Amino acid sequence: METIEIDMRGQLCPATLLVALKEINARASLLRKGAVKLCFLIDNRDATGTIPESASNMGYAVTVAKQPEGWYRIEVAVRT
Amino acid sequence: MSEHPFVFLGAVSLLLGLAAGFIMHRSDFCIAGIFRDLFLFRRTVMMRSFVLLVVATMALFEAARLFGLLSAYPFPLLYAPSAANLIGGLLFGIGMVLAGGCVVGTLYKVGAGSALSMTALAGLIIGSGLYAEFHPAWAAFVKRTTLFPGKVTIAQIMGVDPFIVVLVVFIPASLLLLSWRRRGAFTHQAFAAGYLQPSRAALLLALISAASYVLVGMPLGVTSSFTKAAGLVESVILDRHYETLAFYKAMPLNFIHRLTGPEPLIGGVGPSYDTLAAIQLPLILGIMAGSAGSALLLGEFRFTWRVPARQYALAAGGGIIMGLASRIAPTCNVWHLMGGLPLLAASSILFLIGISGGAWLGGLLLLRLLGVGCGKAADGLCAPRRHGA
Repeated sequence: METIEIDMRGQLCPATLLVALKEINARASLLRKGAVKLCFLIDNRDATGTIPESASNMGYAVTVAKQPEGWYRIEVAVRT
Repeated sequence: MSEHPFVFLGAVSLLLGLAAGFIMHRSDFCIAGIFRDLFLFRRTVMMRSFVLLVVATMALFEAARLFGLLSAYPFPLLYAPSAANLIGGLLFGIGMVLAGGCVVGTLYKVGAGSALSMTALAGLIIGSGLYAEFHPAWAAFVKRTTLFPGKVTIAQIMGVDPFIVVLVVFIPASLLLLSWRRRGAFTHQAFAAGYLQPSRAALLLALISAASYVLVGMPLGVTSSFTKAAGLVESVILDRHYETLAFYKAMPLNFIHRLTGPEPLIGGVGPSYDTLAAIQLPLILGIMAGSAGSALLLGEFRFTWRVPARQYALAAGGGIIMGLASRIAPTCNVWHLMGGLPLLAASSILFLIGISGGAWLGGLLLLRLLGVGCGKAADGLCAPRRHGA
């Protein structure tokens, strides 16, 4: 599975959520086939709540992991 | 205490600001986000906490009034309703959505190191200064469109005891809040470290607002200081033009605060160290420092400036619109929504209607300006739907 990384550190809401949703939608068929997973790099705390909520409402599996440098990594992939 | 009222007012404001900044950072209690997401994503969970904030503040203000703890009721710098509240609110709503935070949201995000919010803050100061250019014409418009001159709250307009009006709103609102609580509708899943649920943040912010009203004589407000900053810059670089601007010379604040002695507290938006500066500057510093402290404790303080240029433009533009709107309205969303609305001030109710419309329009504008509109390529963007896995 290919991982596509999208760096949105420094950006605010709702740009982070809107861009994340746009990326998810643009790659929906590859995501659903399990060919890719999306990885969003975020340092805006609000987005650590809104991106997982929206992506999981759309039927994807989401994981959030805080990095030692103080930002968050949000992975969106097909549900297994 | 009466010898040094500014020391007392400043110290209290600094402490309240530190607490508010910390709480807002932990819970991401962003008023711009609450209104924007309601329209843009039909996300209601934060709006419920906002309702809780207003209702809790209303109860605390009314209790403080009944116990005789308030120096002025309604508090100073809250005026009779006019069309300006509606228009200012509308513009303010658009500005805060584009800027990515309201006046206080911008401050707590600056505290956590956001370069975009620092840009929005500069925009706020510029926008506040722009207003001075057409203040006389706007003041005349406000006068022409004022309803119920000399009457501020719904209770004053109706000529009844404030307790009755508060009770009529408080009882159904409390029942609604209780039903949300029973359904667990306040809580939402969050992955941010050290997260404070927004409903708890709402109750704490209501306490802070009430403490400010009792101890400082008025609730939280910050935008006069942005205008003062604009006036200061203008008085240095455009000194001749500055002298022609009447706006900076007015001293609208003049009230006696029971905790600072018999001398009246006086202030305006000109760049002098008056009561408004003595209260607001420590509050602003407190909010930024409280948020920075929270971010540092979590190891999340970051200054990242590599952001798409378009977002800097949006932050600056949104900040300017919001700064301008905060003088047009007059005053900002925290003053109206966390101060005037809990008193059921008619101007704040008009501001609420305006800001709601503005947040909706701002959301639509933002989709276009960010280039992530609801086209076919972004199907499902505007109202994320549940698909089968």
